[in-house]
Amino acid sequence: MSRTGKVLLIAGPFVAGAAAVAVGRRAKRRTPARHRHVVTVYRPLVELEVTQLPGSLSEIVDRVEVSLAAAPGGRGTEIAIRIPDGSPITDGEVRRALRETRSLLEAGDVLLPSGPPTTVSTPLNRPLQKVTAHGREGGLL
Amino acid sequence: MKALQWQGINKLAVGTVPDPELRNPGDIIVKVTRTVTCGSDLHLIGGYIPFMEKGDVLGHEFLGEVVEVGPDVRNHRAGDRVVVSSFISCGSCWYCDQRLFSLCDNGNTNPAITETMWGQAPSGCFGYSHAMGGNAGSHAEYIRVPFADVGAFTVPDTVSDERAVFASDSASTGWMGADLGGVGPGDVVAVWGAGAVGQMAARAAVLLGADRVIVIDRLENRLDQVRRHVGAETLNYESDDIAGELRERSGGRGPDVCIEAVGMEAHSPGPQFAYDQLKQQLRLQTDRPVAVRDAIHACRKGGSVFVLGVYAGFVDKFPLGALMNKGLTVRGAQMHGQRYIPMLLERMAKNELVTEYLATHVMPLGEAPEGYRIFKEKKDDCVRAVFVP
Ligand SMILES: NC(=O)c1ccc[n+]([C@@H]2O[C@H](COP(=O)([O-])OP(=O)(O)OC[C@H]3O[C@@H](n4cnc5c(N)ncnc54)[C@H](O)[C@@H]3O)[C@@H](O)[C@H]2O)c1
Ligand SMILES: [Zn+2]
Ligand SMILES: [Zn+2]
Repeated sequence: MSRTGKVLLIAGPFVAGAAAVAVGRRAKRRTPARHRHVVTVYRPLVELEVTQLPGSLSEIVDRVEVSLAAAPGGRGTEIAIRIPDGSPITDGEVRRALRETRSLLEAGDVLLPSGPPTTVSTPLNRPLQKVTAHGREGGLL
Repeated sequence: MKALQWQGINKLAVGTVPDPELRNPGDIIVKVTRTVTCGSDLHLIGGYIPFMEKGDVLGHEFLGEVVEVGPDVRNHRAGDRVVVSSFISCGSCWYCDQRLFSLCDNGNTNPAITETMWGQAPSGCFGYSHAMGGNAGSHAEYIRVPFADVGAFTVPDTVSDERAVFASDSASTGWMGADLGGVGPGDVVAVWGAGAVGQMAARAAVLLGADRVIVIDRLENRLDQVRRHVGAETLNYESDDIAGELRERSGGRGPDVCIEAVGMEAHSPGPQFAYDQLKQQLRLQTDRPVAVRDAIHACRKGGSVFVLGVYAGFVDKFPLGALMNKGLTVRGAQMHGQRYIPMLLERMAKNELVTEYLATHVMPLGEAPEGYRIFKEKKDDCVRAVFVP
């Protein structure tokens, strides 16, 4: 095995954990100046109605502020959500709902991870497993 | 079933895992008949992409027989012989509609990781870490293929398994580099890296009418394949003056299109290699961009550089000055397999695209760890190891 291999043997797992933690942490932080989560769905505005949105968004639609707008250049419809002040609904729930609803509207389905799992839990991959257990809740959306 | 699993950095083993199940109505289950090592796997095995879990099944370039179909699948039936794009795409989002399939919005169940790292998340891939969806890979007896109507393609009877399997990843990746790099008649094209991906990029450039195609590597067996099977010229960066040769062979202009097919573990004979390797080990940079630097420097004014090699994070000494002042277009992508596979299969049927010679080592899946060892160390003139489960 090359020298690179050995060095990475030490650095690798540490970095993996750190990277996963960083993703988790950054995902949780909410910039105070930002109030809306927005996705663009590749369906024309005329086809969509706030009360008719499918999937996980329908479960929170009456507890958040939802607005729809035509995206420029035929890119579809922008769905924007504002969580009212003091609401128990989290940014993560909104991100997941937006992603799942977009997938339903565009592809007719929401992709599930492959299974049954082939991996085992170890102290090294637990931070990563924590992140992937909430794969659609994090990120910058 | 048997599968090749990642057990830790530079540790692979064949183990027993549960058979995959249909998860979404658009899924199929494929009984894998051929599955291939890819240079991209080396980045995972070596720990350069730190989103692997102990037990993950590797492999993303494969072909097999459909054995189960979900209720929404229209294009496939049990018994079909299919080759599958390594990237997973829904076929109906805006990106898929633009035929930028690896950018699909709905094909990665873990978009948070890459969105946080890169600002936006590309799609998912088979056997390519949890950042790319954590999908079980193809180095196994069976694999679940989601969005099968979009990503799995029936292989014409006249094309052998041995040839068709490379449409899955290396040939479509190479073709994309030449196509989106803008190769056309009259162009001089330089390709860094004579692995399967670089060779396929060079072959695509030849078929797209380039006037001269030059492939650069240090491994003579690979350069020999380029001369014999691709029909391109070669340069060896350990014995030739690459910059000088490329300038001379392009009438002093520099190549019109430069395709980089090397990736983040690039090797270099010069002092910059020790520098880049040390910085990478200390995590001051995540990738070694040797070939990208050379490509940008060599490229003619106003020319185009396409980055096919996989990079994960940040690089040092990126020649931004050359890029800006020479008016270059630099582009890269993960492969848009769905865009090219049908055309590639047609060309394979017409013998325009011959790929089976890339499979220098064919072995049972049980020997996959050894297959990766020789592939990684480029031993015994290995170009691609192909496993037969
Ligand atoms: N964009 C995509 O979707 C996609 C798909 C498949 C592979 N890839 C990437 O493409 C790259 C090549 O893949 P491969 O399977 O052909 O890998 P490979 O390891 O078989 O080949 C890489 C080749 O590059 C050569 N090389 C190393 N340093 C070089 C340098 N400085 N100049 C010129 N050549 C150099 C090596 O000798 C080797 O022959 C990898 O980074 C892989 O991850 C990308
Ligand atoms: Zn690959
Ligand atoms: Zn899509």
